[in-house]
Amino acid sequence: MLRYIIKRILYLLFVFLIMSVLLFVIYNAVPGDPARIRAEKFKQKDPVQYQIAYEQARADLGLDKPLPLRYFSWMRQMLKGDFGYSTYYSRDVRELVVTPMKNTVMLNIGAMFLALLITIPLGISCSTRRGGVYDNLVRIFTVVGYSIPQFIIGLVFIFFFAVRLRIFPISGFGTPNFEGSFWEEVLDKLRYMALPLLVMTFSSLGGMTKYVRSAMIDALSMDFVRTARAKGLKEQVVVYVHAFRSALLPVITLIIGWFFSIFGGSLIIENMFALNGMGKVYINCLQNQDYQVVLALQMFYIIIGLAGNLVIDLSYMLADPRVRLG
Amino acid sequence: MKLLRTLFSGRKDTDVLAEEAMKGQLRTVLGRLLSKPVNVLAILVFLLFLIGVTVGPYFYPLEINYQDMTQQNIAPGRTMLAIPKELQGHIADISVGSSYSMGLSDAGEVYLWGKTQVTRNVDLAKTVPENMGKIRMIAAGFDHAVAVNEAGEIFCWGNNRLKQCDVPRKADGSDFVYLAAGYQFTVAVTSEGDVVSWGNTNMVDMSLRKAKGPVSKIVFTLDSAIALLQDGSLVYLGKADNALSRGVPEGSFTDLAATGHTACAIAADGSTTVWGEKEYGLDRVPEMEGRPVSVEAGRYHYTLLTDAGRVYSWGRNNYGQASAPSGAEGAASVRAGYFQNYAIGADGRAAAWGLKGYLLGSDGYGRDVFARLLNGGRMTMTIGCVSVIISSLIGILIGGVSGYFGGRVDMLLMRFEEIVASLPFLPFAMILSAIVGNRVSETSRILMIMVILGVLSWTGICRLVRAQVLAEREKEYVLAALAMGVRQWGIIVRHIIPNVLSVVIVDMTLSFAACMLTESGLSYLGFGVAEPRPTWGNMLSGCNDSIIIQYYWWRWVFPAIALGLNTIAINVIGDGMRDAIDPKTEER
Repeated sequence: MLRYIIKRILYLLFVFLIMSVLLFVIYNAVPGDPARIRAEKFKQKDPVQYQIAYEQARADLGLDKPLPLRYFSWMRQMLKGDFGYSTYYSRDVRELVVTPMKNTVMLNIGAMFLALLITIPLGISCSTRRGGVYDNLVRIFTVVGYSIPQFIIGLVFIFFFAVRLRIFPISGFGTPNFEGSFWEEVLDKLRYMALPLLVMTFSSLGGMTKYVRSAMIDALSMDFVRTARAKGLKEQVVVYVHAFRSALLPVITLIIGWFFSIFGGSLIIENMFALNGMGKVYINCLQNQDYQVVLALQMFYIIIGLAGNLVIDLSYMLADPRVRLG
Repeated sequence: MKLLRTLFSGRKDTDVLAEEAMKGQLRTVLGRLLSKPVNVLAILVFLLFLIGVTVGPYFYPLEINYQDMTQQNIAPGRTMLAIPKELQGHIADISVGSSYSMGLSDAGEVYLWGKTQVTRNVDLAKTVPENMGKIRMIAAGFDHAVAVNEAGEIFCWGNNRLKQCDVPRKADGSDFVYLAAGYQFTVAVTSEGDVVSWGNTNMVDMSLRKAKGPVSKIVFTLDSAIALLQDGSLVYLGKADNALSRGVPEGSFTDLAATGHTACAIAADGSTTVWGEKEYGLDRVPEMEGRPVSVEAGRYHYTLLTDAGRVYSWGRNNYGQASAPSGAEGAASVRAGYFQNYAIGADGRAAAWGLKGYLLGSDGYGRDVFARLLNGGRMTMTIGCVSVIISSLIGILIGGVSGYFGGRVDMLLMRFEEIVASLPFLPFAMILSAIVGNRVSETSRILMIMVILGVLSWTGICRLVRAQVLAEREKEYVLAALAMGVRQWGIIVRHIIPNVLSVVIVDMTLSFAACMLTESGLSYLGFGVAEPRPTWGNMLSGCNDSIIIQYYWWRWVFPAIALGLNTIAINVIGDGMRDAIDPKTEER
């Protein structure tokens, strides 16, 4: 067990190193010179001064050194916790991501909670009524749910909830210059978050329901379920106690995997509703060629992703001892 | 209930004792796939889309850079040439506006047809002034309509944002002989040759003083106007210095018409002259029978009537506006404007040709949504298809090698696979397309998007193939083949690949849908295929606006339906195939 974990962590480090080199090289291949941007303000004044400023900026940014050396100094800074400076936002990356990260995590947890609340009962009820009208209806809905892209769901929801019914505002993250008590502010924020939350929840329903349903069907076809029924247990006890506990394992691993993705903002949703989240920061920086931020974020997501994979594998192992470790 | 069950399970009550005939594997799979109506439906829907996007673009070719500001946001429908029945037989005059036409009956009543909703709030047909009396003259403009009654009273209604409806009241009561409404601008000419004008003077500076002498007719181009004086000479009234202003011919003329950038005049000797920016073959005047009597112009075409009663149209023919029908022969007069033509006969009936309307509406640049949907669908499907082929090839190769050889090769390849799989997909694809995309041409950019999608999405199929190969490798028949001395490649090609193929086909189908969705997502965010080249994703990307969502619904509803329905169909087919190949999964 311990050996396996150590081995996996070593792999993880290896993959991470390769990824960091790969990304670093890719970002440095980007056309455009950040030092030139920094020295831009001197350009009109005086060519000599401009040249000096340009050299200074190059030295400041470390662009005068060869690529491998730059990589090591960048890596050292990253490990020290200095993720660079955003030229677009004129702030340190660390300080920059605090608010968006908070918003994104809040939104993701909300959507996850809602989705679980809906999909688990839905999946269970489908599995017990397999092949019936209800099950088939839900299956239609799940296929539709995972086939339709998020932005179409978003457009339809905006049309109904924001344009037609006018229940929720179309975009934003709270009324600008809102004044009121703490709770009023919370309510206001909730109103703004409702629509993106609904869209995110809705778009994850299809896949989740399908997953829960098939996990439950697997569990219900086990021998112990037959035994439980043969013992004369109530059907509800069989489904909710015996079968569900067994079906919970794959669902839990899914949730754990999901938990690691809550830091990543949904690019499409945040762009659509103009939310100040990680996805929006990401797109803004990409569009404005602020690659230091993009690079730092990307590395962060890769670490999270790799760690997530590891935790999922480990949780599988803990949940089901039969899972063979390779 | 029963319907639903047959829709999904397709099972019939079979006789247990009935014997089952032996069938080939492919036929069994196909039979099982087609036994469910929902699968058949999905296949039909998909085929419909496939045929639509492969054949459709030949019938509705796309001029990539085409835009037309007069055709923005027109609602779906093909009623632009639908002359009201009660008007047919009594037509005195017709005037063509941007997306509608206006007719005058011999009883002096005004009729409007086509898309009369010229702005979000103004519907010309609903705002016709009451008690106008007997109308004598009409003119349809871009977003306003004008009528003059027998008493010389002017009525003007429609969009008044740029004062195109603010009629100078002192003009009322004059004896008007000519009336024309252009882009937010109106002129009326009296019998003495005096000009009254009102409206948006930004586009056309009516320095009418340039027109020395009494005027008989004024025509509008996109950004200027030309006057025909009563003495038969022509005067350019615009501000710009271009081919149109420089080319004004000298001499005596009887009639005049102007398209967006050119003008055509009929000389007193019966010859026709076209000058201005020559586009769409507007200067190629056809051979004519008889002497030209009058000429009319649309945005990009001319329609001409000769004294032999023959009608000729030439110029741009994308909506059939330059193909005069045989029914137009023997017309007493012709009327043209924008993309429509009417040939009015002596009996008060009119034959119409040209743009009937937009089946699915037009977008914010005046482009036909239907044509863009077909062409965009072809792009989306091509990108999906090519990237799936790329990803499958890579996935099968790496997964197969990894699974078959195992050991160290497997370890290395799987780590590589892990690296690629841990790349956050959408962001990474965006970065690649942002970095590489700006430096290359549009075509290679699209090619690059396909490659990026393919190169980043092979990991799923790779794992599947690897697992399948691992399982197959251990089977007895492979051992037997090995023992018989079959070479390794022989085993792979003959024994393992056919067994892996079914998994691959199912996965390819499902990832075809996934790739289409990813491409749409990328284009939606603006990192995929760029405007003006359409895809289903970027057609939706400009629609994230409450005004468009509410008022111009056709701009997002139709692409959304196309994309959604198509991916649903593909996913259903993929799931159906998986069930058909391996009936055990159906239980899940």
